[in-house]
Amino acid sequence: METAEKVETAISRVDAALPRVEQPNRALAIKGARTEFRSKAEIEQARRLKQAQKAYGRGRGIDVKSVKDKKLRRNLGNLENKYKTAALKAKEAEILLENTSGFIEPETELERTYRVRQDDVEKDVGIDVAQKKFELKLENLGPYVCEYTRNGRDLLLAGRKGHVATMDWRDGKLGCELQLGETIRDARWLHNNQYFAVAQKKYVYIYDANGVELHCLKKHVEVSHMEFLPYHFLLATLGINGHLKYQDTSTGQLVAELPTKLGTPVSLTQNPFNAVLHVGHQNGTVSLWSPNVGEPLVKLLAHRGPVRSLAVDREGRYMVSAGQDNKMAVWDIRMFKEVNNYFTRSPASSVAISDTGLTAVGWGTRTTVWKGLFSKDRAVQEKVQSPYMTWGGDGKAIERVRWCPFEDILGIGHTEGFSSIIIPGAGEANFDALEVNPLETKKQRQEGEVKALLNKLQPEMIALDPNFIGKLDLRSDEQKRADRDLDKPAVDIAEEIRNRARGKNGVLKKYLRKQARKNIIDEKRLKVEEMLKQQQERREEKHKEKQAELGPTLSRFARKD
Amino acid sequence: MPGRQAHGRSLLPASGPKKPRKPSSRARATKALDAFAIAEQQVPSRKPKGVRTRDLDSDPAERSSNKRQHGGDDDDDDEDEDDEDAGPPVKKRARKGGDEDDFDGFSGGDDDGDEEEWHVGVEEGDEDSEIDSDEAFGESDEEKFEGYAFGGKPKKKKSQNDDEEEDDEDLESLGSDAIDLATALDQYEEDESEDEEEGSGSEEESSQESSESEDDDDHPSKLDALQDMIAGFAGDDSDEEEPTGPKQKSKISLKDLGLAGVKDPHIKKSLKLMNKEEKATKPGSSKKLDVPLAKRQQDRLLRAAAYEKTTETLDRWIDTVKQNRRADHLFFPLAQNAHNAGLDNGELMPLTKKNTGTELEQTILTIMEESGLGPSAKPAKETTEGETAAEEKLSMAEQIELARQRRKERELHSREAARAKRIKKIKSKAYRRIHRKEALRDAEAIREAGDLDSDEEREAADRRRALERVGTKHRESKWAKLGKKAGRAVWDDDFRAGLTEMAQRKEELRRRVEGRAKDSDDEDDDDDDMSDASDDAEQGFGKRRLLEELERAAAYEDEKPTSGIMAMKFMQNAEAERKKENDELVASIRRQLDSDEEDDSEDVDVGRKKFGMGLTPAANPFLSGKGKKTSGEAAEPPASKAKAISTSVSAAAERDASPPAPSAGAGGWSRVGQEGRKKKVPKGAVDELDLSNAGMLATKKAAKPKAAASGQTAEAEAQDSDDEAAVHLPIAIRDQKLIEMAFAGEDVMGDFEREKAEMEKEDDDKEVDNSLPGWGGWVGEGISSREKRRQMGRNITKIEGIKKKDRQDFKLKGVIISERRIKKNDKYLASQLPHPYESHQQYERSLRLPIGPEWSTKETFQGATKPRVIVKQGIIAPMSKPMV
Repeated sequence: METAEKVETAISRVDAALPRVEQPNRALAIKGARTEFRSKAEIEQARRLKQAQKAYGRGRGIDVKSVKDKKLRRNLGNLENKYKTAALKAKEAEILLENTSGFIEPETELERTYRVRQDDVEKDVGIDVAQKKFELKLENLGPYVCEYTRNGRDLLLAGRKGHVATMDWRDGKLGCELQLGETIRDARWLHNNQYFAVAQKKYVYIYDANGVELHCLKKHVEVSHMEFLPYHFLLATLGINGHLKYQDTSTGQLVAELPTKLGTPVSLTQNPFNAVLHVGHQNGTVSLWSPNVGEPLVKLLAHRGPVRSLAVDREGRYMVSAGQDNKMAVWDIRMFKEVNNYFTRSPASSVAISDTGLTAVGWGTRTTVWKGLFSKDRAVQEKVQSPYMTWGGDGKAIERVRWCPFEDILGIGHTEGFSSIIIPGAGEANFDALEVNPLETKKQRQEGEVKALLNKLQPEMIALDPNFIGKLDLRSDEQKRADRDLDKPAVDIAEEIRNRARGKNGVLKKYLRKQARKNIIDEKRLKVEEMLKQQQERREEKHKEKQAELGPTLSRFARKD
Repeated sequence: MPGRQAHGRSLLPASGPKKPRKPSSRARATKALDAFAIAEQQVPSRKPKGVRTRDLDSDPAERSSNKRQHGGDDDDDDEDEDDEDAGPPVKKRARKGGDEDDFDGFSGGDDDGDEEEWHVGVEEGDEDSEIDSDEAFGESDEEKFEGYAFGGKPKKKKSQNDDEEEDDEDLESLGSDAIDLATALDQYEEDESEDEEEGSGSEEESSQESSESEDDDDHPSKLDALQDMIAGFAGDDSDEEEPTGPKQKSKISLKDLGLAGVKDPHIKKSLKLMNKEEKATKPGSSKKLDVPLAKRQQDRLLRAAAYEKTTETLDRWIDTVKQNRRADHLFFPLAQNAHNAGLDNGELMPLTKKNTGTELEQTILTIMEESGLGPSAKPAKETTEGETAAEEKLSMAEQIELARQRRKERELHSREAARAKRIKKIKSKAYRRIHRKEALRDAEAIREAGDLDSDEEREAADRRRALERVGTKHRESKWAKLGKKAGRAVWDDDFRAGLTEMAQRKEELRRRVEGRAKDSDDEDDDDDDMSDASDDAEQGFGKRRLLEELERAAAYEDEKPTSGIMAMKFMQNAEAERKKENDELVASIRRQLDSDEEDDSEDVDVGRKKFGMGLTPAANPFLSGKGKKTSGEAAEPPASKAKAISTSVSAAAERDASPPAPSAGAGGWSRVGQEGRKKKVPKGAVDELDLSNAGMLATKKAAKPKAAASGQTAEAEAQDSDDEAAVHLPIAIRDQKLIEMAFAGEDVMGDFEREKAEMEKEDDDKEVDNSLPGWGGWVGEGISSREKRRQMGRNITKIEGIKKKDRQDFKLKGVIISERRIKKNDKYLASQLPHPYESHQQYERSLRLPIGPEWSTKETFQGATKPRVIVKQGIIAPMSKPMV
């Protein structure tokens, strides 16, 4: 079988030929034919605009003509134009995406991509890619969990029996290696390859790149699953007791502590689109959590048995869940509808979705990769009949599967160590160096860290729809009033001002000076003035006392402070 | 401005030392005249519109400065007058009281003076009278209108003057300001018409005189006329019927008044001026001066006009201001103030009639044209005289015909050549494709035969070998030694490649020396098979295409040219010969193709022949490797095949789109494939197949239509794993059953539904009973239960919640979506709709595109973050003129 790498072109409906319907008299009637006359250039332009809008558009525009205010109408019209040009520009900039990804494609119907073994792939790919396929034999220290950093450079391996190692897997350079000597349930990289968190027998520990223990998070007890939200700098842990805890790794605060109330959780994953956490429970439900509410945002019944593993695609449209009931379900998590349902031979232990939408399922000793379980371009999702690729079957129970970002590599942690296999077409071919840079230098990493901290999102910004920020509060005034907390203690203005000052002198004066410019006289200001007056009086009194103390001759030397 | 310039002159007589004061009849007349002149100068009341606007063109300051030019005498006189006449107007103002401010505010000193001078003329008699203006009017109107009546007097004078003089005067007066062309023309016409009228004018005079006297007597009517006139001043200048009375009066000459011999040069001068004024007016307008408006009204008019003027000036900026306000970015210093502003950076274009913009250019062009250097002169020169002459003789149609013929000849000349070329191309293509196999077969045969036949060939082989030896990088060569010494193999890929090549060559040579040719048969065979297989699929098409091309090439005939060189005998002969050659070539290629086709059809290509003949022989499932591949094609319904040919879509694409093949055929060969595969496929794959199959089973019921739509692949898949599935199917079902059994104890679904119902109830509208026991009724023992019940439901408040059908998860099964508001998120919501927006959709839309560089292209980002006002170093001068 030949592996034919074909450029995957998303043929949009725009390009499709007009449907022709054969009439009884053998005439072909064209449906939806264009009747208006437009030049070729115009048609081309319209087509390009449509494509651009589809790929980069920002939703439907508003009807500018209905705007009554002239100025607003013009401004909004300009805005719409700007959006349009921005989309077009973005489309044009696609020319800069020089790398294309391709999948293995069968030439005939008889060929099956899942028949392609790793040896065949290795033969056909370039030597640089072939080198990326490797195997680490770590036999005695139990099933290994594996994690890649966001840029795919570093690999974190943690064996159940206490072996932790980080490595630059491309160079085969070991970062650090620890023998912790106690059970390890999970391990995670934090925002870059300098820190990682390990959920150990009792607590969660944070280590740096050299393996030095930096923190012991004693509030996270018996953690079984962890997730790190890179934009919020939140480390979310899920304990055996079912408590979901969010720890801000930049400030060290425990942001939220939420009891899931559904027993020992089985799986955890994050939705990269909106930073909502998906928790799989024993009773087959999947609950969605944000640190802002004490109850789940959504609860869905996904399986009959425990939800063994969860994965969400990078655009936050689809979720794949695998349950103990030998089923794998694909969910549309914007509508909360099940798209499709698949069987697994044995309960899947781990699921992961790559940047291009390949789904890796680790079950038993095998790993299956599915292609096209979901596609945002299709209106109705097809049921895939056969997997894309398979691996394993030689007695290594799969613990975790993870895709390496920006690479056609699937990392598999199993009982006998770690395997890195090549899955053509899995990785995003073009990276955005402003976002994550797989080729970053030390300096860039440091700068990126600072930038990420400056751009850190607050935990309150997490919601199912992350675009809610800046939207209008649509509650009625009545509702708002009702929602207002009447029992809240009144704000003490004096205290507030004093708190503003943080121990500086002349706070009131400074405040007044600033307020004087505004020429707003309100309660606050009156209060401040009063306070200032009192202060001055007191000072005056003191001064007089001092003068009296010094006597008439020396009174002039009394200091006024 | 005529009025103003005249002012100085006319004032001289008025301000003369012997200013008439006493109300004697003669003096009154002169005085009246005088006043008229003055009034006229100061208030150019009944001028045509054009003139008036021109009048307003210059601002009062300028006017005053003009006045000052006349010298000290004038000024003094003016002041004198002012002094004299200060009385009445001041009193008037005093009477008016509140309006005083307006006057003071608006009119400058000079204007005041003018105004007062005018009043002198009119109300000369009752300077100090304390009466109301209306009353005053009533008493003294006769006198007044006497004065105006003389407006027509200068008729005679005018006739005395010749036109030239007048023109001079006009020029003189118009020296400083221009009259617009329309007005000037009007004047000219008027002059003529007046000249014509002149004769009849004197005859009419007597009758007019009488009627005028009647009019004079008729006070109320006159008053009306006056008022109308004023009204006309205030608003519409168009009703010209009104001042008929005054018009008639204007015909009264000096003679009639017995003042034929006016000696006074000043008066003469003023009379002349009057004449001129008369002429200056439009034919429709009255010749007579109208009563000047009250100062207030005049001021108002002035203001209105001034306002109009200013708005006009300012309006010129509106577009610029608008544009700048709307502009996304403003750049300072302005481009219009740049040192090279207005300079054209464009290339210099040759001067043509079209692009001559300026007068200079036009003149230059005309000069050049005259001297035969112009652009139009060029082409004329280029064409030779003979040709033009010949062409001129031919008609247009003939010329076109000629051109067409020429073109055809040119084409035909190369036509046969082109055809030959084309055939050659086809032939080469065909040869390449068809004879390759033959050559290979031959080569094989030779190889099989073992030895090379002739000496020549042997020699050639030897030669080749020698060349190979020469090319070899020998182990003992300098290159190898040096490389070895430097250890290049470690780091130099090229060197390494060279080494491997060397080794290969060596091996090959060694084998040759041994007498055995390089044994690459196996590989070659493999390759051949592969390429053949792939070729075969497209060969059918290729041949067909070739044939089609040949057909076209053969049919490439056309009507013989009848004229020109091609019509000559020898040319035609040559052409025919060439054609013959071409035809032969075509025929030979076709023959070859045909023979090849036959060959092919004999051994391999089953499918192609089948559809060519329209026959559908049963596809033989047990075919060799090649046949198997094409059988997929063969299995397709002929209709789709025919379509494939007609649309010439590639076979592969067609196969994808075609409807599912009849299962019998597919099943037939798929079994073969399976048997073959079973040996190769490792045991692991069996599980895999089952997995997919199980997947199908899972949705057997639900996804039936989908499965049907999924097409051939699914079908094939089903067949593929038929036997394997047969083994595992029961297990899968058993598994399912087991699973169901395993989770039978927990009513997961029921629990979930109950939870959902609970949630719905909790969020739903609620009624809270706020009634207090004992409030408005008795409580305690002895109260009947009815009474209690009555009291209970008294004060119920309803708390609005979310109704069941409004819930997001209303239609979703197995999903609970929390309807609770997340208070912490409120922090990031806008509490009010910001000002300009009319709806929250608009506002939210305006925030839709993020500004940051991560979300858009660099260009977009920079455009979005560019400051609105960009100031560059340099002197920022204000805008000197509107930019738009």
